[in-house]
Amino acid sequence: MTTAAPREAAAAVAAPAVRGRSPGRIAYERLRRDPAALLGLAIVTVFVVTALAAPLLAGLNGWRPETFDKSAIDQALGGVPKGDFGGIGAEHWLGVEPGNGRDVFSRIVYGARVSLLIAVAATAVTVLAGTAVGLVAGYFGGRIDTVLSRIMDLVMSFPSLIFMLALLSIAPGTDRVLLLVLIMSMFSWPYVGRIVRGQTLSVRHREFVDAARVNGAMGPHILLREILPNIAAPILVYTTLAIPANIGTEAALSFLGVGVRPPTPSWGQMIDNGLLWYQVAPTYFMIPCVCLFLTVLAFTLLGDALRDALDPKGGGR
Amino acid sequence: MTRYLLRRLAAVAGVLLVICAVTFAVFYVLPSDPAAHACGKTCTPEQVALVRTQMGLDRPVYEQFGGYVAGIFTGRTLGDGPAALECSVPCFGYSYQNALPVWDLLTDRLPVSVSLALGAAVLWLAGGLAVGLVAALRRGTTLDRSLMAATLASASAPVYFTAMMLLLVLVQRLEWLPYPDYRPISEGPAAWAGNLLLPWMTLASLYAAMYARLTRASMIETMAEPYIRTARAKGLYERTVVTKHGLRSALTPIVTIFGMDLGGLLAGAVITEHVFGLPGVGQLTYDAIFKADQPVVLGVTLLAAFFITLANLGVDLVYAVIDPRVRYA
Amino acid sequence: MSVKTTAAPCLLALAVLFGTAACGGGTPAAERSGNGPRPPAGEAARGGTLAILSNQDFSHLDPTRNWTMPEMDFGLRYLYRSLVTYKAEPGPASLQIVPDLATTVGEMSDGGRTWTFTLKEGLKYEDGSPIVAADVKYNVERSFAPELPGGPNYARLVLAGGEKYRGPYRDGSLKSIETPDEKTIVFHLDRPVAEFPYYATLPTFAPVPRARDTKAQYDNRVFSSGPYKIDTYDRGRQLVLSRNEHWDPATDPVRKALPDRVVVKQGLRQSVIVDRLIADQGEDRTAVTYADVNGESFAKILTNPKVRARFHNEIRGCTDTLAMNTAKAPFDNPKFRLALQYAIDKEAYQTVKGGPASGTVATAYLPPSLSGGVPQDTLKIPPTGDVAKAKALIAESGVATPVKVTLSASTGDKGAATAIQESLKRVGVETEISTFDPSVYYDTIGDTARFDGLALYGWCQDYPSGSSFIPMLFDGRTITDKGNSGNVSLFRDRETMDRIDGIRAMTDLKAADRAWVDLDAAIMRKTPMIPLLWLRKPLLTGSKVGGAFGHLIWSGQFDYATLGVGK
Repeated sequence: MTTAAPREAAAAVAAPAVRGRSPGRIAYERLRRDPAALLGLAIVTVFVVTALAAPLLAGLNGWRPETFDKSAIDQALGGVPKGDFGGIGAEHWLGVEPGNGRDVFSRIVYGARVSLLIAVAATAVTVLAGTAVGLVAGYFGGRIDTVLSRIMDLVMSFPSLIFMLALLSIAPGTDRVLLLVLIMSMFSWPYVGRIVRGQTLSVRHREFVDAARVNGAMGPHILLREILPNIAAPILVYTTLAIPANIGTEAALSFLGVGVRPPTPSWGQMIDNGLLWYQVAPTYFMIPCVCLFLTVLAFTLLGDALRDALDPKGGGR
Repeated sequence: MTRYLLRRLAAVAGVLLVICAVTFAVFYVLPSDPAAHACGKTCTPEQVALVRTQMGLDRPVYEQFGGYVAGIFTGRTLGDGPAALECSVPCFGYSYQNALPVWDLLTDRLPVSVSLALGAAVLWLAGGLAVGLVAALRRGTTLDRSLMAATLASASAPVYFTAMMLLLVLVQRLEWLPYPDYRPISEGPAAWAGNLLLPWMTLASLYAAMYARLTRASMIETMAEPYIRTARAKGLYERTVVTKHGLRSALTPIVTIFGMDLGGLLAGAVITEHVFGLPGVGQLTYDAIFKADQPVVLGVTLLAAFFITLANLGVDLVYAVIDPRVRYA
Repeated sequence: MSVKTTAAPCLLALAVLFGTAACGGGTPAAERSGNGPRPPAGEAARGGTLAILSNQDFSHLDPTRNWTMPEMDFGLRYLYRSLVTYKAEPGPASLQIVPDLATTVGEMSDGGRTWTFTLKEGLKYEDGSPIVAADVKYNVERSFAPELPGGPNYARLVLAGGEKYRGPYRDGSLKSIETPDEKTIVFHLDRPVAEFPYYATLPTFAPVPRARDTKAQYDNRVFSSGPYKIDTYDRGRQLVLSRNEHWDPATDPVRKALPDRVVVKQGLRQSVIVDRLIADQGEDRTAVTYADVNGESFAKILTNPKVRARFHNEIRGCTDTLAMNTAKAPFDNPKFRLALQYAIDKEAYQTVKGGPASGTVATAYLPPSLSGGVPQDTLKIPPTGDVAKAKALIAESGVATPVKVTLSASTGDKGAATAIQESLKRVGVETEISTFDPSVYYDTIGDTARFDGLALYGWCQDYPSGSSFIPMLFDGRTITDKGNSGNVSLFRDRETMDRIDGIRAMTDLKAADRAWVDLDAAIMRKTPMIPLLWLRKPLLTGSKVGGAFGHLIWSGQFDYATLGVGK
């Protein structure tokens, strides 16, 4: 389910981006007039700024993300937050974590950092690896293409969630974030690879590529200077749609207990803890869920809008 | 057709073999001692050594792998002497922690996961296609916009969130549904479906939303094709144009994704089964991973890969039926 | 036995106890703060189906391999009978042993080296065939087989010739167990063991007929000598028991065997189980939880009088501790270790674990059940710690702060580890938490080369005596390089070892109990471990379940001998 968005994107960008007169500007104009895109952009900006400014924001609140506040919880009742709505008030803006009284606002803010960092990094690795393989396979063709395509098919046949869980549960973990990034991208790069390969195939015999070749340009130059810019649109769309998918995957892995280690906060981990409290302290469960939901929603809106804007057939879809 | 099918089946077998080899290598290279896990917490070194011999861990990896693959077709005896264990065909390894062949565990749990996946698939296909179709035909209207907003929200909600909200509302507050407690269909279809309805709805709400968006996009694209215009110009009823010409062609990308999704789910929806405590393959996987029961993890991985590759094959075959342009090369 | 796992090997090789086999155990905690023991609630009648809702599968039901706390309760009360067993009564009475298959709790001779049991008349298996002494002998022999790991090792440690014997599959019969006739079984030990009747309560001393032995697969289909037999067992999913019609209640004063059927549903989510039992609808009214009620649900239970009436939380006879590697810096410094006793905020740990309903702040290693029902408190530290005193002690110890240490915990204890982390930060001790899956956790900290710094640990009594606690945790001679358990702190203290030997040589078990308490206090001052919490077993029943009470021997789990379903 976590790979759904990229697949959706893959299906939708299958049509090659035909060169317009100034495709970038057309897309920009379309985006500027699209309220959904602007909303998505606004939400994404809010969360990115939140993540970047986490220490600052948590400082405003006055609570470190890992500091206990026993005065905010009822110790006789298993640590239920005191007060309504999970202890939301002037002291703790989004309430406290049941059981130990850690400040939910600070944890959300720092959690945004971890969740976004992992998702963005995993997407970057995925896109870079997929693009490289796709370009090589599509441009050189022949046996190289056959081998690379088979490898991509093979990786896509792996039951990725099972494999990620199994690897993360036994892998010796020193740097958990790096491990998560690598393992998450290990199973998603072929989705990019396939798109890029298809796109490369469709442009490699176009006149401008032949012209460059006749002028004596070498493989790397042609790949990076001639082909890559012409297939950048679908890659961009895929990237935007892969980020929310990866945010979801990171949360799912944390939820299943193989994510980042405590006391590092991440949204998935908060949801995992919060699940047990969802009746007694529903806000503690809801808040990270809503953040996750909004982020995924925003990136999807943005990605959809980008896709429509870059679609040469498009207009008002 | 037969030759094509045979060739494809051979390819499926090849893919499975490679996946098996990779999984095997990964789990036996990583720093963890499967024998110690399999044996338990109070094992003497002698007991660990015994299990290691039974699991064949004292032999080279390629030999272990060969034995494993051969065991699938011929069955095998693990270890020797009084400790020997029989594992009959098809032998996908032996779970020491459950004292059962992996195959027995898989066949015991598979009905749960298949029930979950198929029921949910019916719901999400029906719901997703209907919503997508309506939205496409009413494109640009308020109805279209609100449907699309709803599907976007539904697709963005994490599955455990949907699960808990449905549980809270339908079970705890309204008491319309029981707590999901899997009953085999042999105990009556009503008990079976009643207990699975909640997990079905959870999965379906996620997938239906994605399918609705996909159907809409695909349908809009198709309806703009020249041949639709031709069909309309011929004077066909709009209903015929939409169903016979439009939908049929618009279904192609949906079939692809449906095959992949269903294939992925048949071997267990880990999160959904975990949240609701359904004893399916997903739950088996989850338990096996955390108990480091590697024979089971290997078996489940193969089963899942089998469903995925088979689903891909199925998709290609279905293509031939709905899309007359596809020919076997 | 270590908490939350199969029992750790309890090294009784040095146990040389004289005296009578009378029950010399402590009495349970006299705490009545809404917790504590209470009479069985609800009316139970004969008939009906009892549902046991569980989040896990049993690890072993084979009697020779069953050594996990509540699983021993389940096996021994439903599926097999041992020579001796514990009374099925709430409170301190549950610590008393009574004959089960045997006519007495055992007759001692040869100064405690020979123990003789005689079987009752009319004992039958599920197929109506008679239970004979040779079957008990056979199962004890099975406990030596390397093919069947996991079970109690008491028989292995004390039976004469046991160190060379490798089970009936390889080495035939064990000569130190004699069965002169069908009813008599004689155990010859290689040293006097006054506590042998306690050993005879273990599932190792239940009968398994040779013809029915399926070795490793016996785990999945136990041949019943108890009141119920296995109908179906789908591992990890469901276990169904029905009546063993050949079990004769006249031979069994302990088990009431009320329900007609017992269904164990496995693999459910614990929070869902608790929600279902709170909601108390339909079939869930005749259900009980197998695993502990999760701390997050306490608020729902304790604030609702109707649900609270169905809530049980008996003490477990277990102590949660923080172990320190006393062989490595900085924990080789006794002053520094003592300082940490003052630094820890035990109340925060308790709250994370679920508050007073799930445990009492521990002020000694021995749980109150082993110290005459009175909680001991040597150091008199406030539950939240004494930061000033701790800082002063650290300054005295010469350890420079801030100091970095690691804290190992199993994944389920993430929250608890964080509580320790936070309280140590107050005195300049920076902790890095590494979590391990429960399946590998005890192996990791039991590996003396790998275990470093701090670890969350715990210990439970095996039988009601300080000798199943103090020597296991603090005798330096029990340390092994791998698979080390009990003394994971690697505490090697001459004085402690001498006093352990002294107490073991005592013939007066009452005086020995007092001496264990004194030794406990002496070890507290040396602080190889920090006691954190005396755990309780929070459990919930449906409204139509009767006869429910937590049994003090089986870590506070319901006594399945008396559980029944009301009309």
